[in-house]
Amino acid sequence: MTPHTASGIEIVHLSHAFAGRKVLDDISLSIEEGTSVALLGPNGAGKTTLMNILCALIKPDSGRVMLDGVDLARQPDAIRRRIGAVFQDPSLDTRLTAWENLEFNGLVYGLPRRERARRIDEVLDLVELGDWRDEIVKGFSGGMKRRLEIARALMHQPRILFLDEPTVGLDPQTRARIWSYLEHLRTHRNLTQLITTHYVEEVAGHDRICIIDRGKLLANGTPEELRARHGTSMIRCMPRDAETEAALRAAYPDIRSLAGGRLGVALASPDMLDAFLATYGTRLRQIQIDEPSLETVFLSLTGRELRDRAPGDDTAAGVGEQAI
Amino acid sequence: MNDLIPLARGLYGIWLREVMRAVRDRGQLIGGVSRPLIWLLILGIGLNPYFRGEVYGEVRFVIPYTYLQFLFPAVIVLNIMYTSILFAVSVIWDREFGFLRAILVSPVPRGLILLGKILGGSTIATAHGGLVLILARFADITLSWSQVGLALLLMFGLSFGLTSFGVILAARVRSFEGFGVFSNTIILPLYFCSSSIFPLDPSLTRAQTAALYPEWLVFLVEINPITYAVDALRGVLINFHQFDPRLGPAVIIGLAVAFFFIAWLDFRRR
Ligand SMILES: Nc1ncnc2c1ncn2[C@@H]1O[C@H](COP(=O)(O)OP(=O)(O)O)[C@@H](O)[C@H]1O
Ligand SMILES: [Mg+2]
Repeated sequence: MTPHTASGIEIVHLSHAFAGRKVLDDISLSIEEGTSVALLGPNGAGKTTLMNILCALIKPDSGRVMLDGVDLARQPDAIRRRIGAVFQDPSLDTRLTAWENLEFNGLVYGLPRRERARRIDEVLDLVELGDWRDEIVKGFSGGMKRRLEIARALMHQPRILFLDEPTVGLDPQTRARIWSYLEHLRTHRNLTQLITTHYVEEVAGHDRICIIDRGKLLANGTPEELRARHGTSMIRCMPRDAETEAALRAAYPDIRSLAGGRLGVALASPDMLDAFLATYGTRLRQIQIDEPSLETVFLSLTGRELRDRAPGDDTAAGVGEQAI
Repeated sequence: MNDLIPLARGLYGIWLREVMRAVRDRGQLIGGVSRPLIWLLILGIGLNPYFRGEVYGEVRFVIPYTYLQFLFPAVIVLNIMYTSILFAVSVIWDREFGFLRAILVSPVPRGLILLGKILGGSTIATAHGGLVLILARFADITLSWSQVGLALLLMFGLSFGLTSFGVILAARVRSFEGFGVFSNTIILPLYFCSSSIFPLDPSLTRAQTAALYPEWLVFLVEINPITYAVDALRGVLINFHQFDPRLGPAVIIGLAVAFFFIAWLDFRRR
């Protein structure tokens, strides 16, 4: 007797280690059918490992995964028909044409000829690659390859779609296009989507956001919930000299060190900002005040900026920033 | 039964992709055509007059064949060896460029993925071996259709075993770098030690053979499985055997089963 489990994704106490190093640490998460969840975390957080486990490419050390009501460990083959995956690294055969890549996928999923022909037209239409069907994939741009991979993942009409950083390295127009395809699939096909990203500005449109860092799930909620629960205004500043830095560190014990010698101070109240500016306003080389945003949610949860690796790229962080 | 049709489509898809890839790969095709031409036209014709002992006024060998006829089956084996063993490139390509994951998330079982790839590789290798048959007239060999059919069957068996061997190699090679090495350290030594380009005359006694060739060389030839594959093809194509005729097919089947099994163990483990 199996208890009735809702469709969608159910992850229970999932842990995994590589060579003794914990990469996923007791992850539990449940995702309702037809919703989309963004998994936000910096590089090395464990996102790809989680995706690989969900696609049954690696076996987790412990924990249980139910996809569309089926236990992954017990019936991996039944699950493979119901999931589609777009991997972080490219996985097309670039020596074949777009059509041949899709035809291959139709064959390995056991679709009959007529069904294959119909669905290839359909998915190529969806990602607007109909004119390129007989071109060799090697000549495609990064964005076209990505769109073709999404088309391929949809060929067998999966119930759940996993996308691992689908927009990384793409230009803004292509990114917007990809999000609009995914939005369309969600509303028209009731497709459950789990999407990883490390672009904070891309997650606001999803039903839920999960923040993952160092293998731990730190937060899970709607964007509004996260902002209300964890969001604080932040001051990010660069002290003019070592003396000022020492004074700041003494005055604000929970101050955070950020990339490029900058410091971050969480603002508990508006008065605090006034006091800060009155005392230190003239002793800073640079200051910026962030309204509560997903970026500051991430910062306050992890103590790190998402863009640790790209100092100076603050403009891209988007939401609610003001430079003074 | 209804479950088998989708699986058969999967197997077909994986096989078809390998074949398509090979048809488009100009370099491989050029190699497959030029290699037998060079071996037969240059080495074959060049050594043809020296093959008989009577050149030196004394008949020592009793093989009633020209050197071209003797060499012909071995060149087929050489072409198969190159194509099969270098099939490792295709396997490494899939792994390095991520395509393997796209296959692994599909519902096709692991064993069938492996079988599809190896069948694809064997088909290509058999075709490359078959190309050589077109030159049969030129080597003064006339073939009946049944000979051609039997030869293709043996060639496919050999291709299957050696393609599996290529897959086993691929699992142990980290990158593309080691490839020139393959042909120089594996293919050519095996080929030269298979009695492909010189005979071990069956009419000579062991002692006489030992007087003609050093013991180690005879030993190497006799433990080399390729020797028996060449012998089997000689049996079919020019009706000449240096060894027990049953040995050839037995060795070919043995290689195919053993190497496929090892490849399967490797693939299941990853
Ligand atoms: N196959 C592997 N063997 C050993 N360590 C790995 C392997 N795959 C990933 N890792 C490690 O696990 C951690 C998480 O990696 P990953 O899941 O790729 O993170 P993300 O996708 O969030 O960037 C990283 O520290 C990475 O080095
Ligand atoms: Mg990743």
